[in-house]
Amino acid sequence: MNQGLLSVTSAFSRVWLRNAQVYLTLWKFNIFPALAEPILFIFVFGIGIGSYIDQMEGVPYLEFVAPGILGIAAIMQATFECTYGSYFRMRMQNTFEGIISTPVSAAEVGMAEIAWGATRGLVTSTLVLVILAFLGVFHNPSVLLLPVITLLAAFNFAAIAIIVTSRIAQMEYFHFYFAGFVLPAQFLCGTFFPISRFPEPVQVIAWIIPLTSFVDIMRSLTLARITPSLIPETVWALGSTIILTELAVRSMQRRLVE
Amino acid sequence: MIVEAKSLHKRFHDVVAVESLDLAVERGSCYGLVGPNGAGKTTTMRMIYCLNRPTSGRLSVFGLDVLKEPRRIKARLGVVPQDNNLDPDLSTCRNLEVYARYFGIGRADAATRCHELLDFMQLRDRADSPIPALSGGMKRRLVIARALVNNPELLILDEPTTGLDPQVRHLIWDRLLDLKEQGITLMLTTHYMEEAQKLCDRVLIMDHARAVAEGSPTELIREHVSPYVLELRAGRTLNAHITSRFGHMEHRSSGQNLYFYGGSPDEFDDLLAAYSQMERLLRPSSLEDVFLKLTGRDLRL
Ligand SMILES: Nc1ncnc2c1ncn2[C@@H]1O[C@H](COP(=O)(O)OP(=O)(O)OP(=O)(O)O)[C@@H](O)[C@H]1O
Ligand SMILES: [Mg+2]
Repeated sequence: MNQGLLSVTSAFSRVWLRNAQVYLTLWKFNIFPALAEPILFIFVFGIGIGSYIDQMEGVPYLEFVAPGILGIAAIMQATFECTYGSYFRMRMQNTFEGIISTPVSAAEVGMAEIAWGATRGLVTSTLVLVILAFLGVFHNPSVLLLPVITLLAAFNFAAIAIIVTSRIAQMEYFHFYFAGFVLPAQFLCGTFFPISRFPEPVQVIAWIIPLTSFVDIMRSLTLARITPSLIPETVWALGSTIILTELAVRSMQRRLVE
Repeated sequence: MIVEAKSLHKRFHDVVAVESLDLAVERGSCYGLVGPNGAGKTTTMRMIYCLNRPTSGRLSVFGLDVLKEPRRIKARLGVVPQDNNLDPDLSTCRNLEVYARYFGIGRADAATRCHELLDFMQLRDRADSPIPALSGGMKRRLVIARALVNNPELLILDEPTTGLDPQVRHLIWDRLLDLKEQGITLMLTTHYMEEAQKLCDRVLIMDHARAVAEGSPTELIREHVSPYVLELRAGRTLNAHITSRFGHMEHRSSGQNLYFYGGSPDEFDDLLAAYSQMERLLRPSSLEDVFLKLTGRDLRL
Protein backbone atom coordinates (compact mmCIF):
# COMPACT_ATOMS: atom_id res chain seq x y z
CA MET A 1 0.00 0.00 0.00
CA ASN A 2 1.26 3.46 -0.83
CA GLN A 3 2.17 5.52 2.18
CA GLY A 4 2.24 9.17 2.99
CA LEU A 5 1.65 12.25 0.88
CA LEU A 6 2.36 10.53 -2.42
CA SER A 7 -0.69 8.32 -1.89
CA VAL A 8 -3.02 11.29 -1.38
CA THR A 9 -5.43 11.93 -4.23
CA SER A 10 -7.97 14.69 -4.77
CA ALA A 11 -10.45 12.52 -2.85
CA PHE A 12 -9.27 14.40 0.24
CA SER A 13 -11.34 17.37 -0.95
CA ARG A 14 -14.52 15.36 -0.29
CA VAL A 15 -13.68 15.32 3.40
CA TRP A 16 -12.69 18.99 3.31
CA LEU A 17 -16.13 19.70 1.81
CA ARG A 18 -17.80 17.75 4.61
CA ASN A 19 -16.10 19.94 7.19
CA ALA A 20 -16.92 23.10 5.25
CA GLN A 21 -20.56 22.07 4.99
CA VAL A 22 -20.83 21.50 8.75
CA TYR A 23 -18.99 24.77 9.45
CA LEU A 24 -21.31 26.82 7.25
CA THR A 25 -24.40 25.64 9.11
CA LEU A 26 -22.82 26.84 12.37
CA TRP A 27 -20.72 29.77 11.11
CA LYS A 28 -22.03 32.27 13.67
CA PHE A 29 -20.77 30.10 16.48
CA ASN A 30 -17.43 29.68 14.77
CA ILE A 31 -16.41 33.06 13.40
CA PHE A 32 -16.97 35.53 16.22
CA PRO A 33 -15.42 33.64 19.15
CA ALA A 34 -12.34 33.04 17.00
CA LEU A 35 -11.91 36.80 16.57
CA ALA A 36 -11.98 37.51 20.31
CA GLU A 37 -8.32 36.74 20.98
CA PRO A 38 -6.83 38.66 18.04
CA ILE A 39 -9.01 41.70 18.79
CA LEU A 40 -7.89 41.54 22.42
CA PHE A 41 -4.26 41.40 21.27
CA ILE A 42 -4.79 44.44 19.04
CA PHE A 43 -6.16 46.41 21.99
CA VAL A 44 -3.87 45.18 24.73
CA PHE A 45 -0.56 45.11 22.88
CA GLY A 46 -1.05 47.31 19.86
CA ILE A 47 -3.02 50.14 21.42
CA GLY A 48 -2.56 49.64 25.19
CA ILE A 49 1.11 48.81 25.58
CA GLY A 50 1.82 50.43 22.22
CA SER A 51 0.94 53.84 23.63
CA TYR A 52 3.91 53.52 26.03
CA ILE A 53 6.28 52.40 23.29
CA ASP A 54 7.38 55.06 20.93
CA GLN A 55 8.65 52.88 18.16
CA MET A 56 9.97 49.39 17.63
CA GLU A 57 12.44 48.70 14.81
CA GLY A 58 11.67 52.18 13.53
CA VAL A 59 7.89 51.85 13.15
CA PRO A 60 4.88 52.49 15.44
CA TYR A 61 4.36 49.50 17.74
CA LEU A 62 1.00 48.46 16.27
CA GLU A 63 2.63 48.27 12.85
CA PHE A 64 5.38 46.14 14.34
CA VAL A 65 3.07 43.63 16.07
CA ALA A 66 0.50 43.41 13.25
CA PRO A 67 2.29 40.47 11.52
CA GLY A 68 2.63 38.74 14.90
CA ILE A 69 -1.07 39.12 15.64
CA LEU A 70 -1.92 37.82 12.16
CA GLY A 71 0.38 34.85 12.54
CA ILE A 72 -1.00 33.98 15.96
CA ALA A 73 -4.59 34.25 14.69
CA ALA A 74 -3.79 31.86 11.85
CA ILE A 75 -1.92 29.24 13.87
CA MET A 76 -4.25 29.29 16.85
CA GLN A 77 -7.33 28.72 14.75
CA ALA A 78 -5.62 25.90 12.85
CA THR A 79 -4.34 24.41 16.10
CA PHE A 80 -7.74 24.37 17.80
CA GLU A 81 -9.39 22.88 14.74
CA CYS A 82 -6.82 20.10 14.36
CA THR A 83 -6.51 19.26 18.05
CA TYR A 84 -9.88 19.34 19.76
CA GLY A 85 -11.87 19.48 16.52
CA SER A 86 -10.14 16.59 14.80
CA TYR A 87 -9.87 14.56 17.98
CA PHE A 88 -13.58 14.92 18.54
CA ARG A 89 -14.36 13.79 15.02
CA MET A 90 -11.92 10.91 15.31
CA ARG A 91 -12.62 9.55 18.78
CA MET A 92 -15.97 10.78 20.03
CA GLN A 93 -17.91 10.70 16.78
CA ASN A 94 -16.03 7.96 14.92
CA THR A 95 -16.52 10.05 11.81
CA PHE A 96 -13.15 9.07 10.35
CA GLU A 97 -13.90 5.38 10.66
CA GLY A 98 -17.02 5.88 8.55
CA ILE A 99 -15.07 7.87 5.99
CA ILE A 100 -12.21 5.41 5.55
CA SER A 101 -14.70 2.58 4.98
CA THR A 102 -15.19 4.27 1.58
CA PRO A 103 -12.56 4.71 -1.16
CA VAL A 104 -11.20 7.70 0.79
CA SER A 105 -7.97 6.67 2.55
CA ALA A 106 -6.71 7.44 6.04
CA ALA A 107 -3.93 9.54 4.50
CA GLU A 108 -6.56 11.61 2.71
CA VAL A 109 -8.51 12.11 5.93
CA GLY A 110 -5.29 13.42 7.51
CA MET A 111 -4.68 15.70 4.55
CA ALA A 112 -8.27 16.95 4.60
CA GLU A 113 -8.12 17.77 8.30
CA ILE A 114 -4.89 19.72 7.80
CA ALA A 115 -6.31 21.54 4.79
CA TRP A 116 -9.45 22.32 6.75
CA GLY A 117 -7.52 23.62 9.76
CA ALA A 118 -5.50 25.77 7.36
CA THR A 119 -8.69 27.06 5.78
CA ARG A 120 -10.06 28.11 9.14
CA GLY A 121 -6.77 29.79 9.98
CA LEU A 122 -6.95 31.66 6.70
CA VAL A 123 -10.53 32.83 7.31
CA THR A 124 -9.83 34.10 10.82
CA SER A 125 -6.52 35.77 9.96
CA THR A 126 -8.03 37.43 6.90
CA LEU A 127 -10.75 38.99 9.07
CA VAL A 128 -8.04 40.21 11.44
CA LEU A 129 -6.19 41.58 8.42
CA VAL A 130 -9.24 43.59 7.45
CA ILE A 131 -9.56 44.98 11.00
CA LEU A 132 -5.88 45.95 10.99
CA ALA A 133 -6.27 47.59 7.58
CA PHE A 134 -9.09 49.71 8.98
CA LEU A 135 -6.79 50.78 11.78
CA GLY A 136 -4.46 52.15 9.11
CA VAL A 137 -1.60 49.80 9.86
CA PHE A 138 -0.67 48.93 6.27
CA HIS A 139 1.00 51.19 3.72
CA ASN A 140 2.43 48.86 1.08
CA PRO A 141 0.75 46.90 -1.71
CA SER A 142 2.91 43.89 -0.75
CA VAL A 143 0.47 43.27 2.15
CA LEU A 144 -1.78 41.69 -0.46
CA LEU A 145 0.54 38.68 -0.25
CA LEU A 146 -0.10 38.26 3.50
CA PRO A 147 -2.96 35.73 3.12
CA VAL A 148 -0.60 33.39 1.27
CA ILE A 149 1.72 33.40 4.27
CA THR A 150 -1.00 33.10 6.89
CA LEU A 151 -2.45 30.16 4.96
CA LEU A 152 0.94 28.46 4.92
CA ALA A 153 1.51 29.19 8.63
CA ALA A 154 -1.92 27.76 9.46
CA PHE A 155 -1.17 24.71 7.30
CA ASN A 156 2.12 24.17 9.12
CA PHE A 157 0.56 24.29 12.57
CA ALA A 158 -2.41 22.20 11.47
CA ALA A 159 0.08 19.51 10.46
CA ILE A 160 1.86 19.64 13.82
CA ALA A 161 -1.52 19.42 15.56
CA ILE A 162 -2.52 16.38 13.51
CA ILE A 163 0.73 14.65 14.45
CA VAL A 164 -0.17 15.17 18.11
CA THR A 165 -3.85 14.31 17.68
CA SER A 166 -3.11 11.06 15.86
CA ARG A 167 -0.73 9.91 18.57
CA ILE A 168 -2.40 10.67 21.87
CA ALA A 169 -4.43 8.13 23.79
CA GLN A 170 -6.65 10.66 25.53
CA MET A 171 -7.66 14.25 25.07
CA GLU A 172 -5.95 15.43 28.29
CA TYR A 173 -2.56 15.24 26.55
CA PHE A 174 -3.55 18.38 24.68
CA HIS A 175 -2.94 20.29 27.95
CA PHE A 176 0.75 19.45 27.63
CA TYR A 177 0.80 20.38 23.98
CA PHE A 178 -0.79 23.76 24.57
CA ALA A 179 1.19 24.62 27.69
CA GLY A 180 4.48 23.23 26.42
CA PHE A 181 4.46 24.30 22.80
CA VAL A 182 1.56 26.39 21.50
CA LEU A 183 1.53 29.02 24.22
CA PRO A 184 5.31 29.59 24.27
CA ALA A 185 5.37 29.65 20.46
CA GLN A 186 2.87 32.52 20.48
CA PHE A 187 5.29 34.72 22.44
CA LEU A 188 8.72 33.37 21.50
CA CYS A 189 8.50 33.69 17.76
CA GLY A 190 9.19 37.37 17.24
CA THR A 191 5.52 38.15 17.42
CA PHE A 192 5.58 40.97 20.01
CA PHE A 193 9.27 41.94 19.99
CA PRO A 194 12.40 40.99 18.02
CA ILE A 195 13.92 37.72 19.11
CA SER A 196 17.40 39.29 19.11
CA ARG A 197 16.53 40.19 22.73
CA PHE A 198 16.79 36.51 23.73
CA PRO A 199 19.95 34.67 24.74
CA GLU A 200 21.50 32.75 21.86
CA PRO A 201 20.08 29.23 22.70
CA VAL A 202 16.56 30.60 22.97
CA GLN A 203 16.98 32.30 19.61
CA VAL A 204 17.92 28.98 18.05
CA ILE A 205 14.81 27.35 19.48
CA ALA A 206 12.71 30.25 18.26
CA TRP A 207 14.08 29.91 14.72
CA ILE A 208 13.33 26.19 14.71
CA ILE A 209 9.66 26.88 15.41
CA PRO A 210 8.41 27.77 11.92
CA LEU A 211 6.18 30.58 13.23
CA THR A 212 9.29 32.76 13.61
CA SER A 213 9.99 32.52 9.89
CA PHE A 214 6.37 33.11 8.96
CA VAL A 215 6.14 36.22 11.14
CA ASP A 216 9.40 37.59 9.82
CA ILE A 217 8.34 37.06 6.22
CA MET A 218 5.06 38.83 6.94
CA ARG A 219 6.89 41.68 8.61
CA SER A 220 9.07 42.21 5.58
CA LEU A 221 5.90 42.34 3.49
CA THR A 222 4.09 44.86 5.70
CA LEU A 223 7.16 47.06 6.15
CA ALA A 224 8.41 46.45 2.57
CA ARG A 225 11.88 45.54 3.81
CA ILE A 226 13.59 42.94 1.69
CA THR A 227 16.57 41.31 3.42
CA PRO A 228 18.75 38.29 2.52
CA SER A 229 17.45 36.41 5.57
CA LEU A 230 14.18 36.00 3.66
CA ILE A 231 15.69 33.20 1.62
CA PRO A 232 16.45 30.73 4.46
CA GLU A 233 13.21 31.74 6.15
CA THR A 234 11.18 30.92 3.04
CA VAL A 235 13.01 27.63 2.58
CA TRP A 236 12.32 26.65 6.21
CA ALA A 237 8.70 27.82 6.05
CA LEU A 238 8.01 25.69 2.98
CA GLY A 239 10.32 22.81 3.84
CA SER A 240 9.02 22.35 7.38
CA THR A 241 5.44 22.49 6.11
CA ILE A 242 6.09 19.69 3.64
CA ILE A 243 7.96 17.55 6.18
CA LEU A 244 5.36 18.05 8.89
CA THR A 245 2.50 17.29 6.49
CA GLU A 246 4.21 14.07 5.41
CA LEU A 247 4.67 13.05 9.05
CA ALA A 248 1.10 13.98 9.94
CA VAL A 249 -0.42 12.03 7.07
CA ARG A 250 1.62 8.93 7.91
CA SER A 251 0.80 9.25 11.56
CA MET A 252 -2.90 9.43 10.76
CA GLN A 253 -2.58 6.32 8.59
CA ARG A 254 -0.98 4.42 11.45
CA ARG A 255 -3.65 5.56 13.84
CA LEU A 256 -6.66 4.74 11.69
CA VAL A 257 -5.59 1.53 9.94
CA GLU A 258 -4.15 -0.84 12.50
CA MET B 1 -14.99 -16.34 -4.78
CA ILE B 2 -15.89 -12.87 -3.53
CA VAL B 3 -13.83 -13.19 -0.36
CA GLU B 4 -11.03 -15.67 0.11
CA ALA B 5 -8.80 -16.03 3.17
CA LYS B 6 -5.88 -18.43 3.50
CA SER B 7 -4.27 -19.00 6.92
CA LEU B 8 -5.14 -15.46 7.91
CA HIS B 9 -3.58 -14.14 11.13
CA LYS B 10 -4.11 -10.91 13.01
CA ARG B 11 -2.25 -9.88 16.14
CA PHE B 12 -2.69 -6.69 18.12
CA HIS B 13 0.54 -6.37 20.07
CA ASP B 14 0.34 -9.52 22.20
CA VAL B 15 -3.33 -10.31 21.59
CA VAL B 16 -4.02 -12.86 18.88
CA ALA B 17 -7.37 -11.81 17.42
CA VAL B 18 -7.52 -14.13 14.40
CA GLU B 19 -5.44 -17.24 13.87
CA SER B 20 -5.07 -19.58 10.87
CA LEU B 21 -8.40 -18.65 9.40
CA ASP B 22 -9.50 -20.00 6.03
CA LEU B 23 -12.73 -18.94 4.45
CA ALA B 24 -14.33 -18.58 1.07
CA VAL B 25 -17.48 -16.63 0.29
CA GLU B 26 -19.33 -17.37 -2.93
CA ARG B 27 -20.87 -14.65 -5.04
CA GLY B 28 -24.54 -14.12 -4.28
CA SER B 29 -24.49 -16.08 -1.04
CA CYS B 30 -24.98 -15.01 2.55
CA TYR B 31 -22.08 -15.96 4.80
CA GLY B 32 -22.36 -15.79 8.57
CA LEU B 33 -19.69 -15.49 11.24
CA VAL B 34 -20.77 -16.44 14.73
CA GLY B 35 -18.82 -16.89 17.93
CA PRO B 36 -18.63 -15.75 21.55
CA ASN B 37 -17.56 -12.21 22.47
CA GLY B 38 -13.94 -11.64 21.57
CA ALA B 39 -13.82 -14.56 19.13
CA GLY B 40 -12.40 -12.37 16.37
CA LYS B 41 -15.46 -11.74 14.20
CA THR B 42 -15.13 -7.97 14.02
CA THR B 43 -11.39 -8.19 13.39
CA THR B 44 -12.05 -10.57 10.49
CA MET B 45 -14.66 -8.23 9.03
CA ARG B 46 -12.41 -5.19 9.46
CA MET B 47 -9.62 -6.94 7.60
CA ILE B 48 -12.05 -7.57 4.75
CA TYR B 49 -13.02 -3.92 4.54
CA CYS B 50 -9.39 -2.89 4.88
CA LEU B 51 -9.48 -1.13 8.27
CA ASN B 52 -7.23 -3.70 9.91
CA ARG B 53 -4.17 -5.06 8.15
CA PRO B 54 -3.57 -8.82 8.32
CA THR B 55 -0.41 -9.75 10.22
CA SER B 56 0.15 -12.71 7.89
CA GLY B 57 -1.70 -14.98 5.53
CA ARG B 58 -3.58 -14.03 2.40
CA LEU B 59 -6.87 -12.21 2.12
CA SER B 60 -8.44 -11.20 -1.15
CA VAL B 61 -11.75 -9.50 -1.84
CA PHE B 62 -13.09 -9.52 -5.42
CA GLY B 63 -9.80 -11.22 -6.23
CA LEU B 64 -7.88 -8.10 -5.06
CA ASP B 65 -5.32 -8.18 -2.27
CA VAL B 66 -6.48 -6.20 0.79
CA LEU B 67 -2.99 -4.88 1.42
CA LYS B 68 -2.42 -3.70 -2.14
CA GLU B 69 -5.77 -2.48 -3.41
CA PRO B 70 -7.85 -1.18 -0.50
CA ARG B 71 -9.26 1.70 -2.52
CA ARG B 72 -10.59 -0.48 -5.33
CA ILE B 73 -11.99 -2.97 -2.84
CA LYS B 74 -13.72 -0.37 -0.71
CA ALA B 75 -15.32 1.23 -3.77
CA ARG B 76 -17.34 -1.98 -4.29
CA LEU B 77 -18.20 -2.69 -0.65
CA GLY B 78 -20.93 -1.62 1.73
CA VAL B 79 -20.06 -1.61 5.42
CA VAL B 80 -22.33 -1.72 8.46
CA PRO B 81 -19.93 -1.54 11.43
CA GLN B 82 -20.66 -3.04 14.83
CA ASP B 83 -20.95 0.43 16.40
CA ASN B 84 -22.94 3.01 14.47
CA ASN B 85 -20.71 5.75 13.17
CA LEU B 86 -23.21 8.09 11.57
CA ASP B 87 -22.03 11.67 11.21
CA PRO B 88 -23.81 13.50 14.06
CA ASP B 89 -22.98 16.87 12.50
CA LEU B 90 -25.26 16.13 9.54
CA SER B 91 -28.97 15.40 9.18
CA THR B 92 -30.29 12.00 8.10
CA CYS B 93 -30.44 12.75 4.38
CA ARG B 94 -27.17 14.72 4.42
CA ASN B 95 -25.48 11.72 5.99
CA LEU B 96 -26.31 9.72 2.88
CA GLU B 97 -25.44 12.51 0.45
CA VAL B 98 -22.10 13.28 2.05
CA TYR B 99 -21.32 9.58 2.22
CA ALA B 100 -22.15 9.27 -1.48
CA ARG B 101 -19.64 12.03 -2.17
CA TYR B 102 -16.90 9.98 -0.48
CA PHE B 103 -17.52 7.46 -3.27
CA GLY B 104 -17.28 10.18 -5.89
CA ILE B 105 -21.01 10.05 -6.65
CA GLY B 106 -22.32 13.34 -8.08
CA ARG B 107 -24.77 15.60 -6.31
CA ALA B 108 -27.85 14.80 -8.41
CA ASP B 109 -27.32 11.04 -8.29
CA ALA B 110 -26.68 11.24 -4.55
CA ALA B 111 -29.98 13.04 -3.95
CA THR B 112 -31.93 10.44 -5.94
CA ARG B 113 -30.13 7.58 -4.21
CA CYS B 114 -30.80 9.16 -0.82
CA HIS B 115 -34.54 9.16 -1.41
CA GLU B 116 -34.60 5.63 -2.79
CA LEU B 117 -32.67 4.34 0.19
CA LEU B 118 -34.71 6.18 2.80
CA ASP B 119 -37.80 4.63 1.22
CA PHE B 120 -36.17 1.20 1.12
CA MET B 121 -35.32 1.32 4.83
CA GLN B 122 -38.63 3.04 5.73
CA LEU B 123 -37.04 6.25 6.94
CA ARG B 124 -38.69 8.62 4.50
CA ASP B 125 -40.36 10.69 7.23
CA ARG B 126 -37.02 11.15 8.96
CA ALA B 127 -35.10 12.67 6.05
CA ASP B 128 -34.44 15.92 7.90
CA SER B 129 -34.00 14.60 11.43
CA PRO B 130 -30.75 15.24 13.23
CA ILE B 131 -28.98 11.99 14.10
CA PRO B 132 -29.36 12.27 17.91
CA ALA B 133 -33.14 12.47 17.42
CA LEU B 134 -33.28 9.00 15.81
CA SER B 135 -34.08 5.87 17.83
CA GLY B 136 -31.62 2.98 17.94
CA GLY B 137 -33.57 1.09 15.30
CA MET B 138 -33.72 4.11 12.99
CA LYS B 139 -29.99 4.71 13.33
CA ARG B 140 -29.30 1.10 12.46
CA ARG B 141 -31.56 1.29 9.41
CA LEU B 142 -29.82 4.47 8.35
CA VAL B 143 -26.39 2.86 8.65
CA ILE B 144 -27.64 0.04 6.42
CA ALA B 145 -29.06 2.57 3.95
CA ARG B 146 -25.72 4.37 3.98
CA ALA B 147 -23.87 1.13 3.24
CA LEU B 148 -25.97 0.75 0.08
CA VAL B 149 -25.30 4.20 -1.29
CA ASN B 150 -22.66 2.97 -3.77
CA ASN B 151 -24.68 -0.07 -4.97
CA PRO B 152 -22.14 -2.46 -3.40
CA GLU B 153 -21.49 -5.97 -4.68
CA LEU B 154 -20.69 -7.15 -1.18
CA LEU B 155 -22.43 -5.95 1.94
CA ILE B 156 -20.65 -6.49 5.25
CA LEU B 157 -22.82 -6.34 8.36
CA ASP B 158 -21.28 -6.58 11.82
CA GLU B 159 -24.12 -7.48 14.20
CA PRO B 160 -26.79 -5.68 12.15
CA THR B 161 -29.65 -6.39 14.57
CA THR B 162 -28.09 -6.38 18.04
CA GLY B 163 -30.29 -4.53 20.52
CA LEU B 164 -33.20 -3.98 18.15
CA ASP B 165 -36.87 -4.79 18.69
CA PRO B 166 -38.47 -7.71 16.80
CA GLN B 167 -40.24 -5.43 14.31
CA VAL B 168 -37.05 -3.73 13.22
CA ARG B 169 -35.22 -7.04 13.20
CA HIS B 170 -37.80 -8.55 10.86
CA LEU B 171 -37.71 -5.48 8.63
CA ILE B 172 -33.93 -5.76 8.38
CA TRP B 173 -34.12 -9.49 7.65
CA ASP B 174 -36.64 -8.85 4.87
CA ARG B 175 -34.46 -6.16 3.37
CA LEU B 176 -31.34 -8.29 3.52
CA LEU B 177 -33.17 -11.11 1.75
CA ASP B 178 -34.35 -8.59 -0.89
CA LEU B 179 -30.75 -7.56 -1.42
CA LYS B 180 -29.62 -11.14 -1.68
CA GLU B 181 -32.28 -11.74 -4.30
CA GLN B 182 -30.82 -8.83 -6.27
CA GLY B 183 -27.54 -10.74 -6.33
CA ILE B 184 -25.68 -8.85 -3.62
CA THR B 185 -23.32 -11.00 -1.57
CA LEU B 186 -23.84 -10.67 2.18
CA MET B 187 -21.46 -11.29 5.04
CA LEU B 188 -22.73 -10.86 8.55
CA THR B 189 -21.86 -11.54 12.14
CA THR B 190 -24.50 -12.16 14.73
CA HIS B 191 -25.09 -13.46 18.23
CA TYR B 192 -28.58 -14.62 17.28
CA MET B 193 -28.43 -18.15 15.95
CA GLU B 194 -31.99 -17.79 14.70
CA GLU B 195 -30.77 -14.94 12.50
CA ALA B 196 -27.83 -16.94 11.17
CA GLN B 197 -30.06 -19.93 10.48
CA LYS B 198 -32.63 -17.80 8.70
CA LEU B 199 -30.32 -15.74 6.52
CA CYS B 200 -27.09 -17.59 5.98
CA ASP B 201 -26.23 -20.18 3.36
CA ARG B 202 -23.03 -20.95 5.21
CA VAL B 203 -21.98 -20.27 8.76
CA LEU B 204 -18.51 -20.17 10.28
CA ILE B 205 -18.34 -20.71 14.02
CA MET B 206 -15.31 -19.02 15.58
CA ASP B 207 -13.92 -19.32 19.07
CA HIS B 208 -10.66 -18.04 20.55
CA ALA B 209 -9.57 -16.53 17.23
CA ARG B 210 -9.99 -19.80 15.33
CA ALA B 211 -12.60 -21.45 13.16
CA VAL B 212 -14.20 -24.38 14.97
CA ALA B 213 -16.75 -25.45 12.35
CA GLU B 214 -18.09 -24.39 9.01
CA GLY B 215 -20.99 -25.41 6.82
CA SER B 216 -24.62 -24.73 5.99
CA PRO B 217 -26.86 -24.53 9.07
CA THR B 218 -28.42 -27.91 8.26
CA GLU B 219 -25.03 -29.53 7.72
CA LEU B 220 -23.74 -28.14 11.00
CA ILE B 221 -26.77 -29.45 12.86
CA ARG B 222 -26.50 -32.84 11.21
CA GLU B 223 -22.79 -33.18 11.88
CA HIS B 224 -22.59 -31.91 15.42
CA VAL B 225 -25.84 -32.60 17.28
CA SER B 226 -28.70 -35.11 17.32
CA PRO B 227 -31.77 -34.04 15.38
CA TYR B 228 -34.06 -33.64 18.42
CA VAL B 229 -33.70 -32.09 21.83
CA LEU B 230 -35.89 -32.43 24.87
CA GLU B 231 -35.49 -29.59 27.32
CA LEU B 232 -36.63 -30.25 30.88
CA ARG B 233 -36.75 -27.67 33.61
CA ALA B 234 -36.69 -29.82 36.70
CA GLY B 235 -34.50 -28.05 39.20
CA ARG B 236 -31.18 -29.31 40.49
CA THR B 237 -32.39 -32.05 42.83
CA LEU B 238 -34.77 -33.65 40.36
CA ASN B 239 -32.11 -33.40 37.67
CA ALA B 240 -29.96 -35.88 39.55
CA HIS B 241 -32.91 -38.23 39.86
CA ILE B 242 -33.71 -38.05 36.17
CA THR B 243 -30.15 -38.58 35.05
CA SER B 244 -29.83 -41.64 37.31
CA ARG B 245 -32.74 -43.23 35.46
CA PHE B 246 -32.12 -42.01 31.92
CA GLY B 247 -28.35 -41.53 32.01
CA HIS B 248 -28.00 -43.99 29.15
CA MET B 249 -29.46 -41.36 26.80
CA GLU B 250 -27.23 -38.58 25.48
CA HIS B 251 -27.75 -35.62 27.79
CA ARG B 252 -26.28 -32.49 29.28
CA SER B 253 -27.27 -30.47 32.32
CA SER B 254 -26.98 -26.76 32.63
CA GLY B 255 -28.14 -24.98 35.76
CA GLN B 256 -31.80 -25.76 36.28
CA ASN B 257 -32.14 -27.34 32.86
CA LEU B 258 -31.57 -30.78 31.44
CA TYR B 259 -31.16 -31.46 27.76
CA PHE B 260 -31.68 -34.91 26.22
CA TYR B 261 -30.72 -35.61 22.65
CA GLY B 262 -32.25 -38.16 20.30
CA GLY B 263 -32.49 -39.22 16.68
CA SER B 264 -36.29 -39.10 16.52
CA PRO B 265 -39.14 -37.79 18.71
CA ASP B 266 -40.25 -41.27 19.84
CA GLU B 267 -36.90 -41.93 21.54
CA PHE B 268 -38.13 -39.62 24.28
CA ASP B 269 -41.43 -41.46 24.87
CA ASP B 270 -40.38 -43.24 28.09
CA LEU B 271 -38.85 -40.14 29.52
CA LEU B 272 -41.88 -38.01 28.73
CA ALA B 273 -44.22 -40.60 30.23
CA ALA B 274 -42.17 -40.81 33.42
CA TYR B 275 -42.14 -37.07 33.97
CA SER B 276 -45.41 -36.01 32.43
CA GLN B 277 -45.97 -33.21 34.95
CA MET B 278 -42.73 -31.43 34.24
CA GLU B 279 -42.16 -28.24 32.25
CA ARG B 280 -40.66 -29.46 28.99
CA LEU B 281 -40.08 -28.74 25.36
CA LEU B 282 -39.43 -31.24 22.61
CA ARG B 283 -38.01 -29.52 19.54
CA PRO B 284 -35.78 -30.09 16.51
CA SER B 285 -32.15 -29.15 17.15
CA SER B 286 -31.05 -25.72 16.11
CA LEU B 287 -27.86 -23.90 15.31
CA GLU B 288 -27.87 -22.65 18.89
CA ASP B 289 -27.38 -26.24 20.11
CA VAL B 290 -24.43 -26.60 17.77
CA PHE B 291 -23.02 -23.29 18.94
CA LEU B 292 -23.27 -24.16 22.62
CA LYS B 293 -21.88 -27.61 22.08
CA LEU B 294 -18.84 -26.36 20.18
CA THR B 295 -18.08 -23.23 22.18
CA GLY B 296 -19.19 -24.40 25.61
CA ARG B 297 -21.33 -22.60 28.10
CA ASP B 298 -18.60 -20.70 29.86
CA LEU B 299 -18.71 -16.95 29.82
CA ARG B 300 -15.85 -15.20 28.02
CA LEU B 301 -14.10 -13.01 30.51
N1 LIG C 1 -7.64 -2.43 18.20
C1 LIG C 1 -7.38 -3.45 19.02
N2 LIG C 1 -6.33 -3.42 19.86
C2 LIG C 1 -6.08 -4.46 20.68
N3 LIG C 1 -6.82 -5.56 20.76
C3 LIG C 1 -7.90 -5.65 19.95
C4 LIG C 1 -8.23 -4.60 19.05
N4 LIG C 1 -9.35 -4.97 18.37
C5 LIG C 1 -9.69 -6.19 18.84
N5 LIG C 1 -8.82 -6.60 19.78
C6 LIG C 1 -8.87 -7.89 20.50
O1 LIG C 1 -9.00 -8.92 19.55
C7 LIG C 1 -9.88 -9.93 20.01
C8 LIG C 1 -11.01 -10.13 19.03
O2 LIG C 1 -11.85 -9.00 19.06
P1 LIG C 1 -13.08 -8.81 18.07
O3 LIG C 1 -13.62 -7.45 18.28
O4 LIG C 1 -12.68 -9.19 16.70
O5 LIG C 1 -14.11 -9.90 18.62
P2 LIG C 1 -15.63 -10.14 18.24
O6 LIG C 1 -15.75 -11.57 17.88
O7 LIG C 1 -16.09 -9.16 17.24
O8 LIG C 1 -16.35 -9.88 19.63
P3 LIG C 1 -17.83 -9.29 19.95
O9 LIG C 1 -18.78 -10.40 19.72
O10 LIG C 1 -17.74 -8.94 21.39
O11 LIG C 1 -18.03 -8.14 19.06
C9 LIG C 1 -10.33 -9.49 21.40
O12 LIG C 1 -9.51 -10.14 22.34
C10 LIG C 1 -10.08 -8.01 21.40
O13 LIG C 1 -9.80 -7.56 22.70
MG1 LIG D 1 -17.49 -7.72 17.22
